[in-house]
Amino acid sequence: MNDERVPSWEDVAQRYGRRIYNFAYRLTGDPDDAADLVQDVLIRVRSGLDQYQPGSFEGWLWRITRNAFLDGVRRRQRRPTMPLPEDDHASLGSSPSPDEVLAAVRLSDDVQAALVKLPYDFREAVVLCDVVGLTYDEIADATEVPVGTVRSRIHRGRKMLRETLTWPV
Amino acid sequence: MAGLSAEIREELLSAYLDGELRPGELTVVTRILTGDDEAIAMFRSLQAVRRAVRLLPELEIPAHLLPEGHFGDRLSAYLDGALRTAEMRTVAGHLMGCADCRSELQTLDRARIAIRALPGVEPPEILELRREVEEARRKMRLGRVAVWVGGVAAAAALLFGLSVGGREQPTVDLADLGDRHVARASVTSGFQILPALSETGKP
Repeated sequence: MNDERVPSWEDVAQRYGRRIYNFAYRLTGDPDDAADLVQDVLIRVRSGLDQYQPGSFEGWLWRITRNAFLDGVRRRQRRPTMPLPEDDHASLGSSPSPDEVLAAVRLSDDVQAALVKLPYDFREAVVLCDVVGLTYDEIADATEVPVGTVRSRIHRGRKMLRETLTWPV
Repeated sequence: MAGLSAEIREELLSAYLDGELRPGELTVVTRILTGDDEAIAMFRSLQAVRRAVRLLPELEIPAHLLPEGHFGDRLSAYLDGALRTAEMRTVAGHLMGCADCRSELQTLDRARIAIRALPGVEPPEILELRREVEEARRKMRLGRVAVWVGGVAAAAALLFGLSVGGREQPTVDLADLGDRHVARASVTSGFQILPALSETGKP
């Protein structure tokens, strides 16, 4: 996103909506919560764009996303996360081979289940890095912690995932 | 490597995977990975975990969440106030900028008003109740006429010096009405008896 101009709300929704949705989905494993978060973020973006000063747009956006997510979590008072529905991956256009599809579904389910078990700070760092694709600097900006903390959280999150996942790594 | 804790060494390996090493750290990582089977195994396992997370399928965002997505399937719920608060605001915001959805909303609203204006059709049980009530009222009116006739006769007897003392007054036999609730209600409040009937559960 060009930092020299203030994007329109439609630009933000088009460009980032999917990433925000995936961020929320991977953090919670719940499609309804993910949809709620996208709506909440886009509303906040819409009302906040007037005050936005051109600069690190992604940092601003992900801070909004993170705050919206945490507000949602607080509202639900740490509602337990739900497992992925059985047919979640059926429409993803995976490999045509039934065995490969089955293996991919199992692997995805395992990884998703392991992700939602991580402590929030580690989960957030891993998801922002490996699902959303932010750099350590961008994650530090979004989460308002030093880059060294981001690095530590990502590593510790991955290490916990490795210990949780049952398949050989 | 001497001087670095296991945690720091692993952290460096993880950052190396992400291309996030600071200046000078690449040399350290190279040394860690040279001839240290344990470090190499750790590196490979972190690599596998990272790949597994990155290979999670990217999900499509539901179309209605995006600006060009329309809200056709949610406009009825919006009219009825049945959406969640955040969703209500999203739909409201979308309606401000989408003539198609505004037009559809107006059509739905007109249909909703027309449907709500349709006359109610009473089920057969209610019609049966009404018949019983009419019958009860008819009997009650007959009873009142009998009382009135008796009263007139008594007055006439008095006027003409005839004694009618000890003679029974005609009364309404509630048992004849079949349902005491019907009788009481009809005597006191006419057609307000329907609720009373329904409370008894008796048709």
